[in-house]
Amino acid sequence: MTTDATERRASTPRGRGSLLALPALAPVLAVLVLGLGSAVLQSVGLMPLAGQPAFTTSAYSALASPAVADGMRISLAIAAASTAIAVVLGLTAALLVHRIAPRRGFLALLAAATVPVPHLVGAIATGLLLSDSGLVSRLLGADPTTFPQLIAGPWWVGVVAEYAWKESAFVALVVLVSLSQRERELSEAAAVLGASAWERFRRVTLPLASPALVVSATLSAAYVVGSYEVSWLLGRSYPEPLPVLAYRLFTDVDLDTRPEAMAVAVLTVGVAGAIALVGTVMLRRTAAAR
Amino acid sequence: MPSTHVRPRRVGLLCVLAGASLSLTACAGATVAPPAVVDPATSWSLVTSAAQGQTVNLWMYGGDDLGNSYVDKILAPAAAAQGVTIHRVPITDTADALNRVVSETTAGRTMDGSVDLVWVNGENFRTGAQASLWKCGWATSLPNARYLDTRDPLLLNDFGTPVNGCEAPWHKAQFVIAYDSAKVTSPPTSIPELLTWAQDHPARFTYPQPPDFTGSAFVRQALYGISGGVASVPSTYDAATAQPLEDALWSKLSGVAPSLWRGGQTYPRDLTALDKLYSDGQVWFTMTYGPATIDARVKDGTFPATTKVLSLRDGSLGNASFLAIPANAAHSAAAQVVANLALSPEQQAAKADPSTWGQYTVLDVTKVPESLRAPLEARSAISVVPPFSTLSTSSNPELSATWVTPLEQGWRKSVLGG
Repeated sequence: MTTDATERRASTPRGRGSLLALPALAPVLAVLVLGLGSAVLQSVGLMPLAGQPAFTTSAYSALASPAVADGMRISLAIAAASTAIAVVLGLTAALLVHRIAPRRGFLALLAAATVPVPHLVGAIATGLLLSDSGLVSRLLGADPTTFPQLIAGPWWVGVVAEYAWKESAFVALVVLVSLSQRERELSEAAAVLGASAWERFRRVTLPLASPALVVSATLSAAYVVGSYEVSWLLGRSYPEPLPVLAYRLFTDVDLDTRPEAMAVAVLTVGVAGAIALVGTVMLRRTAAAR
Repeated sequence: MPSTHVRPRRVGLLCVLAGASLSLTACAGATVAPPAVVDPATSWSLVTSAAQGQTVNLWMYGGDDLGNSYVDKILAPAAAAQGVTIHRVPITDTADALNRVVSETTAGRTMDGSVDLVWVNGENFRTGAQASLWKCGWATSLPNARYLDTRDPLLLNDFGTPVNGCEAPWHKAQFVIAYDSAKVTSPPTSIPELLTWAQDHPARFTYPQPPDFTGSAFVRQALYGISGGVASVPSTYDAATAQPLEDALWSKLSGVAPSLWRGGQTYPRDLTALDKLYSDGQVWFTMTYGPATIDARVKDGTFPATTKVLSLRDGSLGNASFLAIPANAAHSAAAQVVANLALSPEQQAAKADPSTWGQYTVLDVTKVPESLRAPLEARSAISVVPPFSTLSTSSNPELSATWVTPLEQGWRKSVLGG
């Protein structure tokens, strides 16, 4: 472990570093502390819209309802499914671009093209494409009543597809950056030493790409858990993913549901936070394994 | 106004001290209201002179193209001629405007709020009144309020909440159910018949999921229809008397659910989604609280030309919608000028023209000078929607807004989740 002297020597530049990061950190902290803080205050009744503030945990006891449990389950399922697909697709795309095009400008651009498309636009496009009277259904000349229920159907196919499509581009971009020239050299060296293609993937490429994979998968899963518009546009009436549930309670004509809306929002933040935590632990592991 | 006897400066101090929403009405009143002694004409001229050069942020549902273009092309130029600029803020749900006002007032923005005027419906009006978010007492003193029937029940109570001059009427509306007459050969004439029809024709009927405004209205219409008419439903919610009525309604609606679109497993998320299903021919019925949109959609070919309005034996829900000024509005004088202008016979007539917007007038036609009467009841030569006088013959009064929440929650629990 470090001695006092080395620690002191290291602390100065590190302190200066955090000082330099302050301008970037300040707005993040402001949003987190003020926004999240007022959400928490409203959820425990300390910031009421009418009447006197009084501490209460009733909004949190109301979370023990089947609607919230089902919402949590569907939120996690959507996040898990779309992230898994995005990781596979994104990694494949990144490897293809990395292998095929050493000067990967154009192909990388192509792989990243979906990143700037807003989820809202993606969701509407997915709906137009996959709904039972959508473009695909019409091209196939299918009967809308017998066409598989991809949009607003029991398996949330449209929602998962949209997230997977968008997030796979993000995963591809991050992984592509991490697979530097070093991967190619190490791979070639391994090939010279007689490693098969699978062994090279397993022992060289994947370990090099895994930190980037873990980071991008964590970010995308946490994002999906907190995202509203895709589930609202392409999902079904019940169960409601947590953000959809929170927003419905938030806009309820009855102002008394506001604390409960805030409690669901805080719960959503908690779930996203837990995902981030799991991701951090996994990142430590992959980094340590290297 | 509750606080006219308090001197304005004192009120200002109270506002700072209280901070919260309780005394907002009094605060905003004090900042713009003229002293109580002046006569109405002078006080109105004070309002108009204060309004000069101000920009009104008018928050309104933005999903209605005709409404947007009426405000931009007809109302706004007329307001500009009176020295007021209208900035239309399109929103997807009136609750968004309310939320903005709530957030601003909780954050202490009690004087210069960003919402000046809201096109509001009864549910949100009640919510706002609950939290004292509205500026009150101004609507009755608008010069053009003289054309209104002061005893019209639709204008005295908004979904059971007394209006008390806290909002100015804008238009009247009638809930209608439309169908494709090419496919529905023997149209039902009542809600129970409609539900029976739905059971006989699987997957051809559905309604938007409450709390969508139209879906909520359908549930209230169904409550009247299944309970045996307007007389059987108390207008104010009371858990004890409501229970048997609700039980009957939920058992009927969940009974019919398996025969709805997608087997009642899911519902169109809003009216837009239902209209799409209807225009794609997946369902054969749609519904709306703004009948003029049906004419417009038939005209532009979105809806089949064979669309007709269901004539319900027991009539249908009718209401009036209003313009309200939040208590923290930054430009409340200009907002009053716009609300007054919107009530003028000329504007009401322009708005009633189906090719403009087709919103029914709130004015009492007998009080309007004869030369201006005819266009107020205008409708296009070829219209699928019957005239307002026919539609509203046996108009059902809206239930009190106290019903809205129990019905929405009950539907979610007993029909959707059950």
